[in-house]
Amino acid sequence: MDEKTDVWQGTLALMILTTLDAMGPLHGYGIARRIEQTSGDRLAVNYGTLYPALLKLEQEGYISAEWGVSENNRKARFYKLTRAGRKKMRREARQWEQATAILARFLAREEGA
Amino acid sequence: MRGLRALAVRFGSLFAKSRRERDLDAEIESHFSMHIEDNIRSGMTLQEARRAARLKFGGVEAMKEAYRDRRGIPFFETLAQDVQYALRALRRNPAFATVAIATLALGIGANTAIFTVVQAVLLRALPYPQPERLVEITETNPLKRWTHSICAPANYADWRHTNTVFSGMAAYVGLDDNRNSKFDLYLTAVDEPQRITGLGVTGNIFDVLGVPPLLGRTFAEEETYDGHNHVAVLTYGFWQSQFAGDPRVIGRTMTLNGRNFEVIGVMPRQFFFPNHEVQMYIPFGVKPDFFTRIRRPHMLRVIARLRPGISMDRAQGEMTAIAARLERDYPDTNTKMGVRLDNYHATLASESRPALLMLLAAVGLLLLIVCSNVANLQLGRATARERELGIRRSLGADRARIIRQLLTESAVLSLAGGVLGLALAIAARTALVRLAPSVLPGFAELRVDWWVILFNSGIALAAPLLFGIVPAVVASRPEVLRDRGESAPRGRGNLRDLLVTCEVALSVVLVVGAGLLVRSLILLESVDPGFRSDGALSFTVNFPYARYADDARAIRAIEEIESHLRALPGVRAVGAATTLPLRGFSWSTDATIEGRGGRDYERELRHDVATPGYFAAMQIPLVEGRTFNEFDTAKSPPVAIVNQTLARVYLRGNDALGKRLRYGKPTDTDPWVTVVGVVADSRQDGLDIPVQPEAWTPLRQQTNGGITFVVRSNNDPVMLIAAARREVHAVDRDLVPTNVKLLDDLVRQAAGDQLFRSTLLAAFAGIAMFLAALGVYGVLAYSVTQRTKEIGVRMALGARTPRIVGMVLGDGLRPVAAGILFGLVGAWLASGAIRSMLFGVGLADPATYVLTVIILGASAIGACAIPAVRAIRVDPAVSLREQ
Repeated sequence: MDEKTDVWQGTLALMILTTLDAMGPLHGYGIARRIEQTSGDRLAVNYGTLYPALLKLEQEGYISAEWGVSENNRKARFYKLTRAGRKKMRREARQWEQATAILARFLAREEGA
Repeated sequence: MRGLRALAVRFGSLFAKSRRERDLDAEIESHFSMHIEDNIRSGMTLQEARRAARLKFGGVEAMKEAYRDRRGIPFFETLAQDVQYALRALRRNPAFATVAIATLALGIGANTAIFTVVQAVLLRALPYPQPERLVEITETNPLKRWTHSICAPANYADWRHTNTVFSGMAAYVGLDDNRNSKFDLYLTAVDEPQRITGLGVTGNIFDVLGVPPLLGRTFAEEETYDGHNHVAVLTYGFWQSQFAGDPRVIGRTMTLNGRNFEVIGVMPRQFFFPNHEVQMYIPFGVKPDFFTRIRRPHMLRVIARLRPGISMDRAQGEMTAIAARLERDYPDTNTKMGVRLDNYHATLASESRPALLMLLAAVGLLLLIVCSNVANLQLGRATARERELGIRRSLGADRARIIRQLLTESAVLSLAGGVLGLALAIAARTALVRLAPSVLPGFAELRVDWWVILFNSGIALAAPLLFGIVPAVVASRPEVLRDRGESAPRGRGNLRDLLVTCEVALSVVLVVGAGLLVRSLILLESVDPGFRSDGALSFTVNFPYARYADDARAIRAIEEIESHLRALPGVRAVGAATTLPLRGFSWSTDATIEGRGGRDYERELRHDVATPGYFAAMQIPLVEGRTFNEFDTAKSPPVAIVNQTLARVYLRGNDALGKRLRYGKPTDTDPWVTVVGVVADSRQDGLDIPVQPEAWTPLRQQTNGGITFVVRSNNDPVMLIAAARREVHAVDRDLVPTNVKLLDDLVRQAAGDQLFRSTLLAAFAGIAMFLAALGVYGVLAYSVTQRTKEIGVRMALGARTPRIVGMVLGDGLRPVAAGILFGLVGAWLASGAIRSMLFGVGLADPATYVLTVIILGASAIGACAIPAVRAIRVDPAVSLREQ
C-alpha cells in the first residue's frame, strides 16, 4: 500500500462539492469513496470527519440532503449541490488554481536554481 | 451571510433534537452497511468487513459529538442542561428553593413597586412635545412669606407681553393649593344633571402645551374674553363617557352653569392637563381690563414654554428684571414681589421627590439584605452538596464548569424571584394608590410599562452576581471538594458571619429610619388640629354666578340649607364658612390695624366668611367675646372674629376685643371692622405648618361664590351624605354638594405623606429585620450542627448547660453585635437624608436608637434560641458515637 495523505483541512469541502458536481446526488459513503478513487487512492478520507463537514455545507445552504434509496436498495441520505453550492465550487476552484499556479512557480524556480 | 444562515439553522436545531439524533444514527447505520457490503464484495469475511469498516470510520461517539457540536450551539445546549440540572437540584431541596425564591421575590418586588411610583412621578415624560422646556412661573414675596404664590392677572399679562425668552405663556385657574381640581361646572339640560371638573384657561394654553386637538380646534386668543368665551374643549375621556366618542360632537351645545357652550374640540387620548381629573377646558371669559387692573388678588397659575436655545438662567434673569420694573411702577401691590421659574415637571413632582428617593434607597438596602441572605443560604447549602459537587468534579467537570452550573442555579432562583416580584409589584399597585394619594400627584398614573419590566428583569439578572458568585467560587474550591475531613472549613464560617454582620448593619439603618419616621407620624397625628374632627361631615356648595348674582339670594340659600340640615334627625350643629381648616384652600388679604399705620398693611391675613353656627359646629372654642349672631347683618356695624394668633401677633395680645382693623391698605376707604370675639387657633394649611393670623366676617356682611358646610351629628356622619345631598337639592335643584369629606378624613389626609413614608419604610424595615434574624438563625443552626461532637466532648468533660448556651449565643451574637455597631454609625450618617421628613424628632433621637438596638437584639436572641436549645439537648454519648 502506498503512503496515504490525509485530506487537508479546508480542502475537504471543495472536494465534496466537485464530487457532487461530477456525480450528481450521492450519499456520504459514496462521496468518501469517490474522493478516494479520484485521488487514485492517494488520499484517505477519515469518514468520521466527513459528516460534520457535510452538515456544515448543508447548514450554509451549499448542498441539500434528503433520504432516498441507494443502488443496492438501501435507505441512504443523498446530498445534492445547490445553485449557491455550484457558485461556491467555481469560485473556490478558481482560487485553488491560482494558488497552485503561484506555488508551482515558486517550486519551479527552486528547481531551476 | 452564510454564517448567519448557518447560525439560524443551528438555533433551530436546538429543538426537535431527538428526531435529528435518529437521523444521524440512521445515516451512520446506512454508511456502515454500504461499507461492509463493499468490503464483502472485495472478498472479506463478514467479521473482517465489519472490523475494517469500523477502523476506517474512526470513533463513532467522537464523531457524533463533533457532529452535535456542529449541529446545535454548544453554549445554549450546556445552558439548557445547566438549567435542567438546576431545576432538578432545586426540586430536590424545596425548602431552600422556597425560602430563597420568596426572599428574592420580596426584595425584587419591593424594588419594582417603588420603581413603578418613581417612574410614574419622576421619570415618565409628560405628554407634551419637549416637556422639558415647559416652565411654571410663580411669585415670591418675603414680606408675605411667599415662596411660590399663584400670580396676579396684571403681572402675568405684563410678563407675557414684555418678555423675549418664552415662545408662549398661558394661565389657568381651577386648582387648590395641593393642585387638586376644585373648578366645578354643572352640566344641566340633560337627563341627569351632573358635576363636571373643569379648568379655566387663557385661549393660548394649548399652543403653549404644544398639543393639537384630536377633533375640531382649540381656543383662539380672543376667546379668552367675555363675549367670545362660550366654547369648550373636551378631554378624550369625557368625550367617550358623555358622548360615546361621537365625532359629530363638534358644534353641539352644552348647558354649563346655566349658560350655553359650544363644543369646539376634543383632545387626544394621551393628553391630560394639569391632572387626570379635568374633563373640560373653558376660557376665563373675563373683560380685557382683568389683565390690566388686577394686581391683587393672586389667582392664576402660569405656565410658559422656553424659546429654543434659551436657558433657564437666562429666562430667570429677564423675568427678574421685568419684576423689578413692575415693583417700581406699582409699589402698592408689587413691593418685594419677585418671580420664580421652575421646570414644570419638577414642580409637580417636587413634593414627592424626597420621599420617593428615600424609599428607593431603602429598597436598595433591602435588596442588599436579601442578597446577603440568599448568599448565606447558599453557603450553608454548599456544605450539604460537597459530595455531589465532588462527584461531578471527579467525573471531569472543571472548576469553571461547576461555577457556571452554580451560577445558573442562582440565576434560576433570581428569575423566579423576579417574576414573582413583578406579580407582587402589580398586586401592590392598588395598595400604593390608596396609601399615597398625596405622594402621587394627580398627573402620575401607576402603570407597569416596559421600563418597569426592564427594571425588574435588570435586577433579577444582576442580583445573582451579588449573591451567587461568592458562594459558587467558595463551593467549587478544590480543597473543599477534596477535603471530606471532620471539621468544616473555617473560612466559610467567617464569610457567613461577615454576611450576617452586613445584614444586621443594613437592617439597623432601615429600622432607625423607620423609627424616626414613625415617631414623626405619631407626633404629627397627636397635633391638635384645633377643631373636633370626629362625628362631622363637610361639603362645598358653589353658587353659579349667573343665577346668584344677587348676594342676598346666595345668603338666603345658605341659611335655608343650614336650617334644612339642622332639621335632620341626629344633627347636633350646623355651620358654614368659605374655608375650612386643612381643606387645602385659603383666601388671604392685606389688612391695616387701627392706630398703627406705616407698613403694617402689608401683613397677610387669612380672611374668611362664617355663619353664626360655624364655630360651634366645628367645636372651635371661643376664647373671649362672642360668636356671630343673627343681628350681625349688612345694616349693623361690621364685626370680625379673629383667631388667637392674630390677636397675639397683630393686636399685641390682650384686649383684642373692641380693637378695629380694616381689610386693605391704610388709604382704602373700607369701613373699620370691630373685633367682637377671639377663637382658639386651628391648623389651616397642615398639621406641621404654623397657624396664620385669620379673621372671619359674618355671612350677612359679605358673601362669596361658594361655601363649605359642616354638619355635626350624634350618629355616624357617613349616614348624612345622602340626606345632605337631598336637602341641598330641596333648596335649589341645580345646586350640588361637592368635595364631600369627613372632618376625620381631612385630618387623616393632613398626615397622609407622613403615613405613606413611614408605613412603607416600616414595612421594609420589618422585612429587613426578619431576614437578618433568618440569617442569624441559619448560620448558628449550621455551626451547632457542625460542632455537635465538640459540644458532646465538652459536656462529657463536665461543661454545664449555661456554659454551652453561653458558648452558642456568643457565637451567634458576635456578628450581630458587630452589625448593630456598624449599623448605628451608618444610620447616623444616613439619617441626614430624611431630615426634611421628620416632625418633632431630632436626627439623633435617643429613643429611636435605643429601641432599635433592643428590637434587633431581641430578635437576634430569638433567632439564636432554637440552635441553643438544640445544643443543650446534645447527648454526649450519641454525638461521640456518631463520629
